[in-house]
Amino acid sequence: MQTTSTLLSWLIFSPLIFAVIIPFLKTTSSCTLRWFALVQTIVNAVIASVIYSQFDGAISEAQLTHFLFWLPDWGINYHVALDGISLPLVMLTAYVSPLAFLGTWPSKETVTKYEKAFLVLLFCLQTGMYGTFLSADMFLFYFFWEVVLIPMFFLIGIWGGKERIYATVKFFIYTMVGSLLMLVAIFWMLKTNYEVTGIASASMADLAKLQFGFDSSSLSAVFSSPQTWLFLAFALAFVIKVPMFPFHTWLPDAHVQAPTIGSVFLAAVLLKMGTYGLMRIALPFFPEAAFYFANVFKVLGVVGIIYGAFCALAQTDFKKLVAYSSVSHMGYIVLGLFSFQKVAIAGSLYQMINHGISAGGLFMIVGFLYERLHTRNLEEFGGLSKTVPLMAISFMILTLSSVALPGSNGFVGEFPILLGAFQTSPWLVLFAGTGVIFGAVYALKAFQMVMLGPSTRNDLDHLHDLNKKEIIAMIALAVFVFGIGFFPKTFFGKSDASLETYATKLIEKVGSNGNQ
Amino acid sequence: MEINNYFPLTSLSALELNSLIPLMVMAFGAIFSLLVGTDKNRGHDWAFAMSFGTLVLTLLHSVFNFANHDVTLLGGTLVFNSFTKSISIMAYLFALIAVVLTYGQDRKEGLLSEIYALILFSCSGMVLMLSTTHLLFMFIALEIMSLAIYVMVAMRRTSQYSAEAGMKYFILGGLASALMLYGSGLIFGSTGSFELTSIAHHLTSNTNISPLYFVGLALLMVSLLFKVGAAPFHGWVADVYQGAPTNVTGYMGAAVKFTAFLAFARISQSTIFVKNVEGLVWFQHFIWIVAAVSMIYGNFVAIAQTELKRMLAFSTIAHTGYLLLGLYTMGIGTQSLETMLLYLFFYALSNLGAFAVISLFENQNQKDLTLDQIAGQGIKHPVLGISLTIFLFSMAGIPLTSGFIGKYGLFSAAVAAGEIPLVVIAVLTSVVSVYYYLRVLVYLFMKEADGKPATFHKLKGASITALVSALMTLQFGLFPKMMIQFVKMITQ
Repeated sequence: MQTTSTLLSWLIFSPLIFAVIIPFLKTTSSCTLRWFALVQTIVNAVIASVIYSQFDGAISEAQLTHFLFWLPDWGINYHVALDGISLPLVMLTAYVSPLAFLGTWPSKETVTKYEKAFLVLLFCLQTGMYGTFLSADMFLFYFFWEVVLIPMFFLIGIWGGKERIYATVKFFIYTMVGSLLMLVAIFWMLKTNYEVTGIASASMADLAKLQFGFDSSSLSAVFSSPQTWLFLAFALAFVIKVPMFPFHTWLPDAHVQAPTIGSVFLAAVLLKMGTYGLMRIALPFFPEAAFYFANVFKVLGVVGIIYGAFCALAQTDFKKLVAYSSVSHMGYIVLGLFSFQKVAIAGSLYQMINHGISAGGLFMIVGFLYERLHTRNLEEFGGLSKTVPLMAISFMILTLSSVALPGSNGFVGEFPILLGAFQTSPWLVLFAGTGVIFGAVYALKAFQMVMLGPSTRNDLDHLHDLNKKEIIAMIALAVFVFGIGFFPKTFFGKSDASLETYATKLIEKVGSNGNQ
Repeated sequence: MEINNYFPLTSLSALELNSLIPLMVMAFGAIFSLLVGTDKNRGHDWAFAMSFGTLVLTLLHSVFNFANHDVTLLGGTLVFNSFTKSISIMAYLFALIAVVLTYGQDRKEGLLSEIYALILFSCSGMVLMLSTTHLLFMFIALEIMSLAIYVMVAMRRTSQYSAEAGMKYFILGGLASALMLYGSGLIFGSTGSFELTSIAHHLTSNTNISPLYFVGLALLMVSLLFKVGAAPFHGWVADVYQGAPTNVTGYMGAAVKFTAFLAFARISQSTIFVKNVEGLVWFQHFIWIVAAVSMIYGNFVAIAQTELKRMLAFSTIAHTGYLLLGLYTMGIGTQSLETMLLYLFFYALSNLGAFAVISLFENQNQKDLTLDQIAGQGIKHPVLGISLTIFLFSMAGIPLTSGFIGKYGLFSAAVAAGEIPLVVIAVLTSVVSVYYYLRVLVYLFMKEADGKPATFHKLKGASITALVSALMTLQFGLFPKMMIQFVKMITQ
């Protein structure tokens, strides 16, 4: 059943090959180097497209696996595989990367310092992200998970805004706390696996077979069950990355300080690593504990939705507004995953992609404005739509996607989540539903303050509309926004079999043991 | 087992003689290095060449004779089996790196050419200490090593800090040595042997263990904890790390720690972690507590430092804590020696590299490099900046580097042995350590130089050391398979 192929490894390591070439390039010109980066991302997108065409959507199991011995003595191997859950995320990464470069192309007057190092780090970041989504070995997953931190640390710290050091250290430490506790949990799983089977193995497929004791008869029994602690350790690492309220405080700082392309990657892909982790590991490996604590997570998810929306409403910094909107939108995914309903779980996966598109695009818009007017303060814009109509249109499209208007991709994600969650906890969904309204309020407020109303500036003569590269990026995003909005089946069809099996198995497991 | 029966050595077979050749070559090489070092003009170069050649010869000899049969001399006092031979090779390797690191640094700091001979002397002490199972022999080996190190620490003759460091280390170290000797004497008195295996045998076969044994054990343990720099016996660490010439600090942090820890591991295996002996459980608890205290104290105090060497000194206390965690789990579990050895080896490499980078930026007689001074240096000297990044990430245990493999192995062995609370303390304090390691990177890459930036000294030896260590750190971080299999083979 399993097909073997080296394609996935090419996808993971091709950015690294380009990264090795960069120091030997003679040119130091920003533009030439960016073209090189664009070629790299397009090569990756092509590889990803080939992978997409080879992926068999009818099979729910991992495909295109590539296996190499790495540390066989400790049961650790290089093992990458693709299934319907990682497929959309990989495609998201592959297609967002070239758009991110196109959408943040530096104008001639802006000089990025240490351009080569900047690109090397961005390439390494891509390797880390692909690796995280494709790992089929627990150790490898942790390895890539941590590796992603390093380029991001430097990207924010060297090329960021005024408070960049505070932001980047906070980002690193926050993630580290979670991931080191996750590491202890991984040790525990490996140990249990060794005790049960007598073979050291870190393969996710082997570890998934383990049954960790869980006893929900009383609170003390719950907290003396190993599954509880394992679940909490993994969940903590993932919800910090998501970020779920109340672990979200690193996000606004990191986003605001990061360079635009860093923000785009952070919002579009890095946050998804958290929800992907929840979906890939925390829920299926520890279903009973996850089900037991589901209400806590659902409530926190909903609090995040509303809290994020209110915070976004109060911001005058455009970038911070988008950052808080991420907190709000990621809350839906947590709600959807923990509602243990087929529709909602599928919706959560869709929402991961949709948020990647809309938030990534919005950060690009922030970047366009900052590049041209050197401010992010919402009060210093106003009435721009007359001078920059194309930008206004793209902004509007992304706003609609963000507020989940039917026909846009946001709706495809949020509606199934709310629908599924409603069946288990209608009251929570009532509150979550208000989040949709508040979401519309702040998003439209932002649009109105930037594009409509009277102009407060008198330097608008210099303001030029989107250039060709930016237009290409925006058109591509618009295609995804409406394409997914109208034909979700075309885009997510190949995930159906995997999602179906995944959700059935998960619900089966908690259905037999769980009592909430 | 009367030691007198084995002296004088009556005759040695060819194989036995062969196993002693590295030590003899080292001793003679050191003496020749002293002699050629007296040349007025090129003494340093000659001494360097002599000691470098000696170490290369020794290494080659040990590697080529690695497959020889095990040899035991003096009735089991000196053991040359695959395990002791490999850890000796590692010690030679550290000494070799230290010799390279010293070249160039010696002129800058006005060190005497004798430093090369001292490295060889201390290294032979280490090899003896690593190869013996006899407490008295161990004491002698420890003294051979320590006396050379005391002199090396005080070698910056025009720096008051170096003199202070040498004095402190000498007096406190002397006290520790005395405690060790006294402790060994009491243990001999109560068990009738200096030999570790017979001590362990005595403990398991007798139900009545004299209370003197515990007193002796306490003294012995304290002296060894002092040598490895565990809190609360760490008083000397920070000042000595700062005052010593930076190349010596690197060598100390790597090789001395490596030796002292492996010796401690061996001693504790047959004196503290003996199954079913009443009373010893308190000593085991004590090690648990020392491990926790070292991790917490070392990491938290390192946060407050603004000077690099001092910060690394406190971080080394924390690393001792992690290693003690390994030691503790070795006592209760099975596979920890393997992971401890890996950790020690990897840590020593990054340690040597980190101090090599520091020595490149230090002025003569400077006490320590402050964080302000290195601001922006990573941008100016990208290769060195990246090397230091690799070393610090390795110490923090972040993937891509060998330190991660070391930590992973150590902690996973601890979890496998069921020691989860200590591992949780270890990982949480690791987060703390990430903070101060990151701060160095923040200064290196993200801050602009203001005030007086450090001047870069072109030293070939230190640059080579930094590069080689960085490459090895990456290599073992990405492809540790060979190393793991090797360590697994020799510890079985």
